[in-house]
Parts: sequence; C-alpha cells; structure tokens
Amino acid sequence: MNFEAVIGLETHIETNTKSKMFSSAPNLAEQEPNTEVALLDMAFPGTMPRVNKEAVRKALRIAHALHMTIDDTLYFERKNYFYSDLPKGYQITQQFRPIGRNGYVEIEVGGKIKKIRIERIHMEEDTCKQLHFSSYSLLDYNRAGVPLIEIVTMPDIRTGEEARKYVEKLREIVTFADVSDGKMENGSMRCDTNISIRPYGVDKLGTKVEVKNLNSIVDIEKALDYEIKRQSESLLMGIPVIQETRRFDEGKKETVTMRIKTDAVDYKYFTEPNIAPIKLSKEFIEDAINTCPELYDQKLARFTKNYGIELTDIKILLSDKNLADYFDECAKFSKHYQSIANFMISNVLSILNKENKNITEFKVEPKYINELVELLENKEINSSQGKKIFESVVKENKSPLIFKKELGATLINDESTILDIIKEVIKENPSLPADFKAGKTRAQGFVMGQVMKKTQGKANPGVANKLIVEELKK
Amino acid sequence: MNYLDKTIVEIHEALLSKKVSVLELTKEALKRAHENSDNAFELILDESAIKKATELDKLPVPKDNYFFGIPYVAKDSFSTKGIETTGSSNILNGYIPLFDATVIKYLNDANAVLIAKATLDELAMGGTGTTGHKGITYNPYDASHEHMVGGSSCGSAVSVAAGVVPFSLGSDTGDSVRKPANNVGLVGMKPTWGLISRYGLFPFAPSLDHVGYFTKSVEDSALALNLLSKRDDNDATNTYHKRDDYFKEVSKDIKGKKIAVIKEISTSIKDPVLAKKFDESIEFLKGKGAVVDMVSMDATLLSTIYPAYFIISCAEATSNNANLDGIKFGPNYGGNTYQEVMYNSRTRGFSPLIKRRFVIGSYSLMSDNQHDLFLRAQKARHMIVDAFNEVFKKYDAIYLLAAPKTAPKFNEASDKLSDTYLLADNYLAFGNFGGFPSMTLPLGFKDGMPFGVNITSKPFDEKDVFDIGLALEDFTNLKGLDINMKHGEDK
Repeated sequence: MNFEAVIGLETHIETNTKSKMFSSAPNLAEQEPNTEVALLDMAFPGTMPRVNKEAVRKALRIAHALHMTIDDTLYFERKNYFYSDLPKGYQITQQFRPIGRNGYVEIEVGGKIKKIRIERIHMEEDTCKQLHFSSYSLLDYNRAGVPLIEIVTMPDIRTGEEARKYVEKLREIVTFADVSDGKMENGSMRCDTNISIRPYGVDKLGTKVEVKNLNSIVDIEKALDYEIKRQSESLLMGIPVIQETRRFDEGKKETVTMRIKTDAVDYKYFTEPNIAPIKLSKEFIEDAINTCPELYDQKLARFTKNYGIELTDIKILLSDKNLADYFDECAKFSKHYQSIANFMISNVLSILNKENKNITEFKVEPKYINELVELLENKEINSSQGKKIFESVVKENKSPLIFKKELGATLINDESTILDIIKEVIKENPSLPADFKAGKTRAQGFVMGQVMKKTQGKANPGVANKLIVEELKK
Repeated sequence: MNYLDKTIVEIHEALLSKKVSVLELTKEALKRAHENSDNAFELILDESAIKKATELDKLPVPKDNYFFGIPYVAKDSFSTKGIETTGSSNILNGYIPLFDATVIKYLNDANAVLIAKATLDELAMGGTGTTGHKGITYNPYDASHEHMVGGSSCGSAVSVAAGVVPFSLGSDTGDSVRKPANNVGLVGMKPTWGLISRYGLFPFAPSLDHVGYFTKSVEDSALALNLLSKRDDNDATNTYHKRDDYFKEVSKDIKGKKIAVIKEISTSIKDPVLAKKFDESIEFLKGKGAVVDMVSMDATLLSTIYPAYFIISCAEATSNNANLDGIKFGPNYGGNTYQEVMYNSRTRGFSPLIKRRFVIGSYSLMSDNQHDLFLRAQKARHMIVDAFNEVFKKYDAIYLLAAPKTAPKFNEASDKLSDTYLLADNYLAFGNFGGFPSMTLPLGFKDGMPFGVNITSKPFDEKDVFDIGLALEDFTNLKGLDINMKHGEDK
C-alpha cells in the first residue's frame, strides 16, 4: 500500500464517582430508568450546577497518568445546541481551558515503544439515554449528568493495531486508577475516530472521515483497517474520499455512511456563568495524584520485586486490575507466591472462563485460596483431592479445611505406617527387589500403585517413593 | 389606618404586643390583593395563606424573628414547590415546581406568609411591566392606568406600593427592582452579586442576575438582607464572604462618608423638579457631614452600558431558556419529531419580544460574530467596571437620581440614542456589571408620581448603602411610603 493513515481518537470515559458531575443524583445509570435523577438533571428552571470534587480528583489522576500539563484553575463553558437528549439545551464542558493539556502515552507496537501525544483531556457531563421505537422515543435521565472525561489524541496513530493498543492502554490506566470500569460494551468507554489517508511522504492531510459506533476495542481495529483499505482503494480508482461520518456495522464488519458532513454545528460556546473559576490548591492536586491507586507499571514493578513470580504469570494477573487485587489479597496470607499464581491461573481463571465470568463475580474469599494452596504445598492433600475440595469451596465459599475433613482427605505421612504397607506388598511379590536391581524400574511403579491401592490414595507419594526405593534396594 | 400599611419592624411590634394577629394581617393582605386592579398577580394563594396564618397564631411570636407572620409576595420567577410558577410566560403555563427557591425556603422557614405570586415581564426580560402573558401591569399611583410600573419586577413592586404586603421578592438583572422602585416610591434593593442565593430563581442572565426585593423602609431592607443572605450550597456562586448584621449595624451617622455624583449622568437629567430636589438632598447629606463631590467619567464609556448589557443579557438568556422545549415540562403541543415538539412549544410559548431577544443573543454568540459582539460587550463590561472601581477607590458610594423622570406613560416615545436615554435612563446596569450593592429609595413626588434616588457602593459594602439611605429618610419623610400614606408634592 502506498498510503499512510492519519488517525486521531476522541475517547469519552464515564467516571465511576458516587454522584453526577454537577448534581447530587447517584451515578447509577444502569438502574431502573428515570430513578436516579436530580432536579438539575431534568433542567428544571432555577436549578444550578455544583462541581463534583471527586470527579475533579479523578480527572487529575488521569491527567497525571497521561503526563499532561495540569491547569490549576477550573473553567467551564456551555456548549449550546438543541437535541432531545440534552435537557438543559447546553452541555457544560471545558472548551477553552481543559484540565489537562499536552500529554502522551506509550504503546508497544512490533516490539518498539511508540508515543501517542494527547492534545487535551477535559471534564464534561453525559446526556440522556435515548431509546427509539418506530413511532416514539423514550428518554432515560439516569445518564443525564454522569461525569465524563474526554481524552483527545493528536493525529499520531497510523494503523488499526496502534489504535487498539492505544485504547487498551487507556483502558488499563482508567481501570487501574479506579476512574472507570472502562467497559466499551456498556458505554462507560466510548470512542470516536477521525481518519484520513495520504500518500507516504506527503505532509498535507487527506479528507477526514469520522467513524463512530465502535462498541469494542476489537471493532476499533477492524473498523479502522477497513477504512484504510476502503479509502486507499477509492483513491487508487481515482474516486476522492468525501468528508462524512460513518458507523461500524458489527454484523458486516464494515463501515457504512451515517451522514455526509455539511456545515459544522455552531455551538456558541461561552463561559458557564453559574460556576465561578475554581482555583485548585497545590495540596489538592498533589493529594489527588498521590492517592491515585497503583497504575499498571507500578504494579508490575511491585509484583516483580515483592513476589518474584514469573513475568508471564504477572502479566496474566495484571491483565485485569481486579485479578491483580485478588492476588494481592491471597498473597497477604502466604509466602508461596508462585504456587498461588499457578493455582489462580490454572484453576480460578479456568473456572471463570468456563462460566464466562469476571473475577469480581468470583465469591470465594482470597484466604481460602491461600489455605488450599498451603495444603497442597505441605502435601497434606494431593492434586486430585485439591481439585475436589476447590470445587466445593467455589460452591459454598467455606474454608477448604472443612471440606478436607469431610472428604477424609488426609495424607498418610507416617513413615512406619507406609513402610509396613510396602513390606506387605514386597512380601506378596517377593521377586520385586531382584527385578529392581536388574534395572526394571517398572517394579518401583508397581509397588507405588499397590501402596496407593491399599491406602485409598492417601499415602504421601513423596514419602512413599523414598521408602520404596530404600526397600527395593535392600 | 391598618397595620398592613406599616413597615415590617412596626408590624412585628404589633404582633408581639398582640395588637394584631397573623390571620388578620393575612386576610387583609388577601383582600387587598383581590381588590387591586393593577394586574399585579399571577396567583393569589388564599387557601394556603389562611391555613398557615391560622397555624402561626397558635404559636408564640418569637421576639427576634421579624418575618414571623409577615405576609409577602414573590415574583413568579421564583420556584415555589407545589405552586404553579410560570415566569409570566405561556411556555410554562401549568408548570408546578418540585422545589422551593432558597429565598422562598428562608422566608417560609421564618414563617413569613406567601400570599401571592406576582406578574413580571415575560421571563424577567423587559423593563416596562407590559410583556407578561397576563398583559400590562399598572402603576398604583395612577388610577387612569396611563403610567408604567416598569419592570421586570412589576407585580412585586405593585404589591408593596399598593399596600398589599410590606415585603416582596423581585429580581434585578439590569435594574428590574431598582427601576420599578423609582416608579412606585419604594426601597428597592439588590445586594452584592453572590450574597443572596439565586437557587430557584428562573435565570435570565446569571452573570447579571440578582435576587432583589422591595420594602417601605431602609431598616426593613437591612432586616430582609439578614434573612435572605444566608449561605447556600445549592448556588455555587453564593459567596463565602462574611455576612454582617445589616439591621443591627445600620446607622444614620454618615459623617465623613465620601459620596460621588457622576457628572455626566446627573447633568443629562433635564427635569427641573427632580434636579432641584436632588440638589437639595445633596445639601442635606453635606449638612450631615458627608463629603459629596461631582465626579467626571468618560461619557462614551457610560453610554455603552446599555448596549453591552443588552448583548450580554440576551446572549446568556438564549442559553438559559434553551431548557424550555416542551419535552420535560410546560405545554407540549406534540409533533412528529423532537424538532417539531420543540418548535411548536417555543413558537407558541414565547412572545415575539422574547424571540427577538433570543435572535439577538444567538446572533451575538455565533462564532462568526462572537468576537465583534459578545466578546466586545464583555470587554466593555470590564472597562466599565474598572472605571467605577476607580471611583470607588476614592468614594464610599455613588449617588444619583434613579431615573431621569417619574414613571413614563405607555404611549411615551423615547429617543433611544439620546444621552437622557443612554446615560440617565439605563445606567443602573453598571451595578449588575460589577455586582455592586445598589438601592433605590423614594426622594419625592412630581405631579402625584413618585421618583427616587439610587445609592451604589463597593461589593460587600451594603452598610454604606443602608446608612446613606437611612439618613436620607429624614430628608424625604417618605419612610413607610405606600399609596395609603399622605405625601407632599415637589415643584
């Protein structure tokens, strides 16, 4: 391909504060429609906005994580337009003085680190949710006023893959900073993309196309790759790209025209007169940043240093912030970090995958996982007993010690008891020591099998093995 | 003589000494409201007022709560829970708010008795008292109904001037309390911007909007500020600045106070009766030990007050009223699309005058025009405020006639480019530009119609305004004025 794509992303993050951006209504957009609504959210005459301090703290954390220059005075503007989902007839946003400017994030592409510059991040409020039917529409004001952080990149992205990695990185930051659950599927993270293409070596930008309705990170990559292909083919055929807004059709995996761009709406921005500029103290800004929950890179460093577990395992645990938190909880009770990691990856995650669940839906207390791992480590139970007990623990969220007792799952560790049984087996098969000495290692396995049979599998295999070799050598 | 003709302080004394009951006061207020023929009321609240008055009479009258049992009226742009509030606009016909404005709450908590909602110029946009959906509100001093009350707080002004109540709530964006106060001989006060919570006041232009109010005396005005200026979290612009005990501290001792009379405004007033009385009042103030100087300002700058005010207020208004779309509240006339619903509701809901203001506001905010209109008006606003702040560096207050004449007649044409119009008739908005505390009080009478003076001071220097006002009452002898009080005539 002879063309280079120039891509910029605008991402809206729904912030997980307790209340809305400018009102005291609970920030619970998913509740029964129109139950989480304050007077301001429906724009009753005379209602006034109040800035949510927690939303500001969260925006500061993101600004910091994105290496942005923070504006220590908050200004808000009104963005005026009429739309059925916009109760006040304007959105309160930060047009002229965003809380953060000129930052960047780093992504890894093809083994190399690439910097994506961030132009700005600002705070604003969400609109109503609309539900359209054939002859009518319904409005849900629960979402009206939910705090949003908008993050706008410079046009530094070149491929669908880079866009995906950028959004993944962004999601990692907002989830680790506990600013949002970052779920694209339910709209707590929303991406609009701008893409144009130009021949390599040309500075002038091509005609910009906006692509919307991207409901997953995978779709972002697919939609942009599709667009690059579509626009390139179009240009090669001599057909110019037209300025338009397209949406991604998930079924067809292609972008389709939504509307042809006509004149842009004039939003008539002006200062929100009901919010005087708010000067943020140095202490407030520093406190917001310093109390930010550990971000990915910090966590990676800490897991490596404190737990000393395999890097590949750390990356699995850190793929989900909640999983990492769960591991931290388990690790509080134990020193067998690698064993806990192994257990979580091979047992806990497999159950979750099978049931298509998230770690937050996993109800087992971390200390029980630790108890189970300890039992296995100390060889008090074997791995098949471990599996059985784990199933019960998952079902009832009770201590594995209870189930161990119920199963009668105790290993025989006493050497003299095991030795007596070994002697019994050899007595029944007197040729075994000679076979063993003649190099038939099969004899060793045979004795082990018989010992396990006689003890219903309860003999400590390590102890038994040692004693068997000793006896056969005699 | 009726106790309802007295000031709040006097009525409170009468209630304390059981010379009158809350119910008697309330019934008389309701009766007068019904008998009033000036078209001052959107709604008269007989039932709830009588109920509250009856309950209050079972309670002891608290000595330090002057508002206990005082009947009052609120402009219909204050949100009142469970009581229809229309802003005198058809677009809000039938709208019953779910909450009380903060000042309504303060008054109700103090057990004042709301007896009516008063008319206004539609959505507080206007200065004539003629544009509300119920038609023209008339001046109670003129039985022939030829003179304006002025606006936008027309019904609130009538309520106190006609002796219906001793106190009413209004709002002041350009001069909407202080101008009608001039026209009906009342004390009309708007304090520093941010001192009284605006929560629940239907916004016209928030950067200029103030809660204001009418009383019959300066003392009552200070008393009301004590109650209304309590800090409120619901209004993020409500100041944390310390409040004074305005009532306790008000004093007619103005010895050494420095007062500026703005020459360009004062000399543009040609009416000899008003000018003479004003000059006499200056001599009186000087006699009381005040220093009164004629101070010159840039006339061109002063003449931009009105156009700058108009651009800024219209621009903010178009945005503030964008919530009135027929979807959430107010009449919904239907439509096949959301655009049609909005179009139908706004087409029928707003009068042509309002639409004109929206067009002007929208036009001046458009990105192509914003630099030349809205931002330039903002720049002018800053220059004007800076110029007045220069005056306030040397003077405690600015003292001027509130208007160049008594209440104008409806059919009277004014030359909108004359100095009288631009300087003397519309200068009061400088108080809104700078958020300065500003009060109009009656000075005298000409041909049976009252006229007033205005005192404006630095932000949070309400005390200067009240002190000078209180001193002036000894000169005017118009303390307690309403239509039932005998008054003189200036020649």
